[in-house]
Amino acid sequence: MQILSKEVIFLITLTTSIFLIAPIFIIVYVSYYNKKKAKHLEEKESLKKTFELELLKSQFEVQEHTMETIATNLHDNIGQLLSLTSITLSSIKADSAQEGKINAAGELVVRAIQELRQLSRIMSGKELIRKNLGHAIAFELDWLKKGTDYQVQFTDNTIRTIPQNSDKELILFRLFQEIISNIIRHAGATKITISIDQTDSTLSLQVKDNGKGFVLEDKLQASDGMGLFNISKRAKMMDGTFSIHSVTGVGTDILVSIPYI
Amino acid sequence: MPLYLSINTIAEITCFLIGLICLFQDKSLLWKSFIAYLFLVCITETGGIYLRVHHTRNYLIYTIYMFFECLMVSTFFYYIYKRYHHKIKLLYSWMALFLVIYLMELYTSHFKSFPSFTATFMSVVFVVASLYFYLLIIKDERFRQLSTYPTFWIVNGILLYYFGSTACNVFYDYLVQNENGIKATLSIRYIIFNLLNVLLYACWSYAFICRYYQRKLSSSSR
Repeated sequence: MQILSKEVIFLITLTTSIFLIAPIFIIVYVSYYNKKKAKHLEEKESLKKTFELELLKSQFEVQEHTMETIATNLHDNIGQLLSLTSITLSSIKADSAQEGKINAAGELVVRAIQELRQLSRIMSGKELIRKNLGHAIAFELDWLKKGTDYQVQFTDNTIRTIPQNSDKELILFRLFQEIISNIIRHAGATKITISIDQTDSTLSLQVKDNGKGFVLEDKLQASDGMGLFNISKRAKMMDGTFSIHSVTGVGTDILVSIPYI
Repeated sequence: MPLYLSINTIAEITCFLIGLICLFQDKSLLWKSFIAYLFLVCITETGGIYLRVHHTRNYLIYTIYMFFECLMVSTFFYYIYKRYHHKIKLLYSWMALFLVIYLMELYTSHFKSFPSFTATFMSVVFVVASLYFYLLIIKDERFRQLSTYPTFWIVNGILLYYFGSTACNVFYDYLVQNENGIKATLSIRYIIFNLLNVLLYACWSYAFICRYYQRKLSSSSR
């Protein structure tokens, strides 16, 4: 006879086995649930991203529509009024003493009409982008050169325009305007170099300045980093990339690339 | 010398050495204290074998060790729960309750046997604590990669060990009475505890390695 009966050994072994299998099942279940949680979080994050992009898209469309309306009103209403003023001024028959002043006023009105047309074209992005992005940027830079002393260098290396991608070009043009506006307001630069490049599948915009530069982390944390954040988001909206390299005292280099097929 | 190298001692020494390598430079005192605890485990086990070899009952050494075991595991659970805003009163209350039961059992047995009821009670509490930890993980909105989460693997080891030892603890007196006359290393209790020890220290060793890589990764990303 054995000292410890086989039944008891069997019972204890069985109980221990069950008591070991049960926690293993619990551990497996917790791990499985955790994986499901990760999937759920990923889905949630993706939905949030999609929602943010949709919101950004709507904001962009509303902004574009507003600018379009202002540009049309400027061109049609104020432009018409100025044209009428110019015609009225030219029809005045004055003596030689007043003629000079009236002619000078007429010339000023003609200049105002030209400036107004240029401004309304810049505001109306679709109109400006009709030819291509390079043309729109060159037009904007002409406007910039007039009012400021920046040394501007622009290189257009684009090969072809794809009409179906005009919306993308328009967004890229608005990004360019935002970057230029940031340089004027904050950089304190004297030289701006712009280039647009095209490959088989991408269109890239690069803007360099020799301004005071900044520490990127500080800028992103500060509230005035919203501009950069928006540029980055808009680039993402087009499935593009946005990179920024800034050195304090040397300048900033911004590169935006978007798919262009 | 081979007497001292059983499956138990090899598992414990291996875990101690892994802990020593992986946790020596750890900033957390709790994790570092695993080294001291595992050293105590190795000393206890060696002392237990020494007494057994010299035909002396070794229950006293394991009885004293049980207090440190409870302290270590309870403190670990307290630090896990602390993240979920649990108060230190909980740890003090549990330790006080444990001491009362532990001392009462020792007193009633006139310090002449291992406090198996206390061990069973402690096991049940640790099993509940482990299950509660899983509940907290499930309820937590943050995601953690559990396959490399050190705390999760420490708790896995605890759950497997204490849940698995319940049957042996419940039948402890019966098993001890019937072990007389057979070789200690052939008893079912010894075999089961060997298996449980291997599981516990394997889980803990893996947790220490995960902790080591986690620390290396966080220091290199700074």
